[in-house]
Amino acid sequence: MQKVLTKKSLPQWVKKLLSYTIYTPVEEDDHWNFVATDNPEDINLDYPLTTLSPKKIIFPQREIFLEFCDSTEGNPEVKEVLPAEKSAVIFGVRPCDAKALTFTDKVFGGDFKDIYYWKRRNQTTLVGISCNTPPYTNCFCVSVNGSPYSKEGLDILLTDLGDKYFVETYTKKGEKLLNLAKGLFKSPTAKDKKDLEKIRIDSKKKIKRQIKNIKKIPPKLKEMFDSPFWDEESMSCLRCGICTYLCPTCHCFDINDEITSSSPIKGKRIRTWDTCQFPDFTMHSSGHNPRPDKASRLRQRILHKFLYFVDRYQNYQCTGCGRCISLCPVGIDLLEVLDKVRDYGS
Amino acid sequence: MDPNTYIPKLAKITHIKEEVGGARPIKTFRTQFFENNNFSFKCGQCAMLSVFGKGESMISISSTPLIKDYLQFSILKMGRVTSSLHEKQVEDIIGIRGPYGNGFPVEKWKRKNLIFIGGGIGLAPIWSVLNTALGKREDYGDLTLIYGARTSKDLVFKEELEELRKKMTVHLSVDVEEPDWKEFVGFVPQNVLDKKPSPKNAIAVTCGPPIMIKFVIKALEDLGFKDEQIYTTVENKMKCGVGKCGKCNIGIHYVCQDGPVYSWAELKKLPQEY
Repeated sequence: MQKVLTKKSLPQWVKKLLSYTIYTPVEEDDHWNFVATDNPEDINLDYPLTTLSPKKIIFPQREIFLEFCDSTEGNPEVKEVLPAEKSAVIFGVRPCDAKALTFTDKVFGGDFKDIYYWKRRNQTTLVGISCNTPPYTNCFCVSVNGSPYSKEGLDILLTDLGDKYFVETYTKKGEKLLNLAKGLFKSPTAKDKKDLEKIRIDSKKKIKRQIKNIKKIPPKLKEMFDSPFWDEESMSCLRCGICTYLCPTCHCFDINDEITSSSPIKGKRIRTWDTCQFPDFTMHSSGHNPRPDKASRLRQRILHKFLYFVDRYQNYQCTGCGRCISLCPVGIDLLEVLDKVRDYGS
Repeated sequence: MDPNTYIPKLAKITHIKEEVGGARPIKTFRTQFFENNNFSFKCGQCAMLSVFGKGESMISISSTPLIKDYLQFSILKMGRVTSSLHEKQVEDIIGIRGPYGNGFPVEKWKRKNLIFIGGGIGLAPIWSVLNTALGKREDYGDLTLIYGARTSKDLVFKEELEELRKKMTVHLSVDVEEPDWKEFVGFVPQNVLDKKPSPKNAIAVTCGPPIMIKFVIKALEDLGFKDEQIYTTVENKMKCGVGKCGKCNIGIHYVCQDGPVYSWAELKKLPQEY
């Protein structure tokens, strides 16, 4: 479905959606992030790029799996804790971040469905905003088969046409949101469509950073497993893990028990994000560590994204958002690393 | 709605046997589920054991799937969860989820001679496949066990091993000499070279410490075993058991799902990240 919505009408539309939890990008302490609001005037679609992607809403950094109570008398009680039943709408999702969710969908799907993830995923509607100009200096979505107006993973995509938004819906979930405020949406004129086309062509041209010959990279990575290259490239790494915590496609996690009482033993089993950049991530209880150094851990991050994931799911596990480049405290630049990989030894 | 893969089922510990004492103790636990929940598994598969308040640990199932009344786990006291398991008593309740992993391809091994080569706690996963072969004795050729530990006190399933001698060939070893030890003295790979099992129509299954596995495989290669005839198990840190948490990968493989059983032919192709 294609429609247009005047910018003035945006809060009126949101007003009709207040039965949902509404998320919008908000600037707090120099960082933009998705925050829940019940004020339709808060919706802000003119923002750079959130520090954390909306992944944190679907797959929160910390979540409870179950609660337990194990007293000396009687059997332990184990109570499954599922996410609350509450539909949500996230406004202002960047196309790269929505596409990233199509990757985590694959990981959390398969034979063993992760019902915590899917509960949130299914009850959330994603309203995207096209990137008419790159929201970030290090954007490179086009290099990894993405685009500033990709619809992958989105229910609705808005494109800023000046005083109005061009509105496209791709799913039933998306159409439902439009149907809740029917009168506000008008059919696009021929000029609207022409404007959209022009904006789209220009938006791709504005993306400055890129990976050349990306197809050469996976086979090259396979050859370079034992190369000293990884020692050199990882030398400056502080193993802070920010590259993975901020990545919209990274999905690795830990599961631990937290207790609130020791007699009886009461507590929660929680899932938290984890990162392959920490030594503990792979360390056996014996102390043996299959990835004992920074070199093997940087190699894991790059190979997971540009070799293993490609083998398993036929996609690069990267959507070109550029967060890992912009926010690395020591300036490890994924694109520079990949350029060196491609040209290594030639 | 899909079942919640992360919720363990409650099981009672029905039997505990102290296999090995000292600084690296090993205990064998048998468990029974409270409710019949169709926990059917293949030998070589693992289960995630829960001690509430401590966490979870992936442990190989050491009983054979032919026994339906209980699950058996032989556990070396090592980290937080295994240490608290060692404090458990009969009648205590733990959580179990699974089974996970691929298991040994025993159906493909029919009519073959099977040689089991284990070191220390590595006998646990072997025990499941060994007893499966014994339970269907007519399906297989000669069965041989070559098993060793640091000292005779470190051997697991000591009484069962004596019983086993009546049913199959058993070669034991200890790493260093000790009084009254009448069998082989030396490391397990040396015992393999000493006993010279024939590669003809044979499959060798080896589990134990990584360094032992490495040299056992070398010994088997020297005896003429081909890569496809050698099987082993791999372990890595695991949290989810279902290929999502990202901890146990070796290259494209997740050990919890695609392993832990590998032929040497398959394992050779993977990077050495285990």
